[in-house]
Amino acid sequence: MIETLISVKDLTVRFKTDEGLITAVDGVTFDVKPGEILGLVGESGSGKSVTAKSLMLLNADNTVYDPKSSMKLNLHDQSIDILSLKKPQDQMIIRGGAISMIFQEPMASFAPAITIGDQMVEQLKLHSNMPDEKAKEISIEMLERVGIPEAGKRFNQYAFEFSGGMRQRAMIAMALSTKPKLLIADEPTTALDVTIQAQVIELMKELVDEFHMAIIFITHDLGVIAQTADRVAVMYLGNLVETGTVHQVIQQPAHPYTQGLINALPNLEDLDSPLTPVPGDIPSPLERPTGCVFNTRCSLSLGERCEAEVPHNFNVAPGHNVSCHLMEQRMAANE
Amino acid sequence: MAQFIQFALTRAGMAIVTLLMVSLIVFSLMEMVPGNCAERYLAFKNTQGSQITVADIEAEEKRLGLDRPFLVRWGSWVGNVFFKGDFGDSCILRLNINQLLGDKFLLSLGICLTSLLFAYLIAIPVGIISAASKSAWLNGSLRFISYLGLAMPNFLLALMIMLFSTVMFGDSMTGLFSKEYRDAEWSFDRVKDFLSHAWLPVFILGWSATAFALQTVRALMLDETGKLYITAAKARGLFGRKLLWRYPARHALGPIINSLGFDLNRVFNELPIVAVILTLTEAGALLLESLARSNDQQLAGAIIFLLTASIVTLNFVTDIALAIIDPRVRKSVMGG
Repeated sequence: MIETLISVKDLTVRFKTDEGLITAVDGVTFDVKPGEILGLVGESGSGKSVTAKSLMLLNADNTVYDPKSSMKLNLHDQSIDILSLKKPQDQMIIRGGAISMIFQEPMASFAPAITIGDQMVEQLKLHSNMPDEKAKEISIEMLERVGIPEAGKRFNQYAFEFSGGMRQRAMIAMALSTKPKLLIADEPTTALDVTIQAQVIELMKELVDEFHMAIIFITHDLGVIAQTADRVAVMYLGNLVETGTVHQVIQQPAHPYTQGLINALPNLEDLDSPLTPVPGDIPSPLERPTGCVFNTRCSLSLGERCEAEVPHNFNVAPGHNVSCHLMEQRMAANE
Repeated sequence: MAQFIQFALTRAGMAIVTLLMVSLIVFSLMEMVPGNCAERYLAFKNTQGSQITVADIEAEEKRLGLDRPFLVRWGSWVGNVFFKGDFGDSCILRLNINQLLGDKFLLSLGICLTSLLFAYLIAIPVGIISAASKSAWLNGSLRFISYLGLAMPNFLLALMIMLFSTVMFGDSMTGLFSKEYRDAEWSFDRVKDFLSHAWLPVFILGWSATAFALQTVRALMLDETGKLYITAAKARGLFGRKLLWRYPARHALGPIINSLGFDLNRVFNELPIVAVILTLTEAGALLLESLARSNDQQLAGAIIFLLTASIVTLNFVTDIALAIIDPRVRKSVMGG
């Protein structure tokens, strides 16, 4: 049995632009176990998508991975150093082989003028030597499995003939057809109605058990995370500020940013309670704050220290890690 | 398949309706010019010294059928054009228009279509490769050649080639035929002679058309390459040629195919200037002549109608081609 499926250490991603190097992800470290759902939470621009795309080397051509960064994919028979995969043939294992990805806009992720079936068969044939008929059979089975009625007929249709929920189901069917070990879901339910969203989440949870597959679930919606994830990692401006089990992070959030995110959720039980958004906007990556990246918006800021010093990563409870200067006092108080 | 046939039939029906509308507009324009054929003919006689009365004009109008209502005259003109391919007589030259035009329209159309064919045959693959290539050298030189083609007026290019060939080979390379074949019957040798002359206007017209299409294909490709479905295809493991031709290229071609009709019109408009310099006898020059100098509405109308008919036909063909490559067009019978 493999202990960790994905092991990311010190992942630092920069983009080469005319304004110089822009840091999108800064020293991110996390593991994903087989069969585990990791929720990656953060606002737009927090670097969660860049982090996930790094695992498939899907970031744009101007991406620079810091030499210290390491990403390992552990399979039964081999351990793959993702950053060492240079040739497209070698990258196929992390692109649709052992790792698959589904996107926020299922409409835009299917090629508009190629049938859903053709795209599914194409992927299966890329990753195996199976004949067309076999690939078609598996594709239709997968479409049926994700709950698409009349899968045989749907196989020959185009993305524009599917409804939004059906498209996302088809996208999941296609992503899982090659039986990947890790599914990266980049805001897969954001574009869906709430009722459809619940169905898709339910489906994904079933499939995790059935295929014994891990999921990195990217979202800005803490409600979705609470329903879905086993563990949660909160990102802010390219940094991982807090990681822990879903209980630890949602019920005992330790980082002021996580607390802010949770307080910002509308309260359905008390409709008169005021909304409490996290003040300010996420800074531009061109003007990353020094010290703690969150100090410009933090209501509990210690002032100079937070502005000057990058906080350590504190282990506040088993499996619960927080990068914040406030933890130092808390840890000291506990001792 | 049934859907496709329905699409094709609907489009064919729409093309015919368009042609009828065009014929009505062309016919109205022909009629709008002051003075009708009877008056003109008699006015011509008047200059020859004959005395003309109003009764003479009316008699002539009756003889030519000009006393019938407008719609009836349009109907008979359109009927002759559609069913007999007969455009009637030019009342200035008193000659049948079909005779006057002869092969000229077909030759002009042929030159324009050949220019476009070459333009697209070059522009589509080169544009796609250029968009996919990161080579600054390749893209730089293609851009240079393209802008040269777009910026340099065709007549200047024609003049330069004429000058060059006269100095180098002692042959001015003008005309569409050598002297001995100009009025000869069509034969294998005449075709050969024609081709040896026709490549030059095709080249001159084709250069700017190629440059235009090349930049369009490149821009469309870059646009498609940035789309999410390309990232999604990469995420499924596609790469290299398969990713390029099956995904963005196929989707980038739609707008290019769509612009064929518009391109034909543009090239046809450029042809007269090139024709004047290379002393080609073609329909564009004839149109200019009939409109500007002799005020020959019948001839002008016939040429405008033929050109529009060519464009409508080409648009019909491109609609069918689009429906083949893009299911969204095929499945929306009236759309696209």
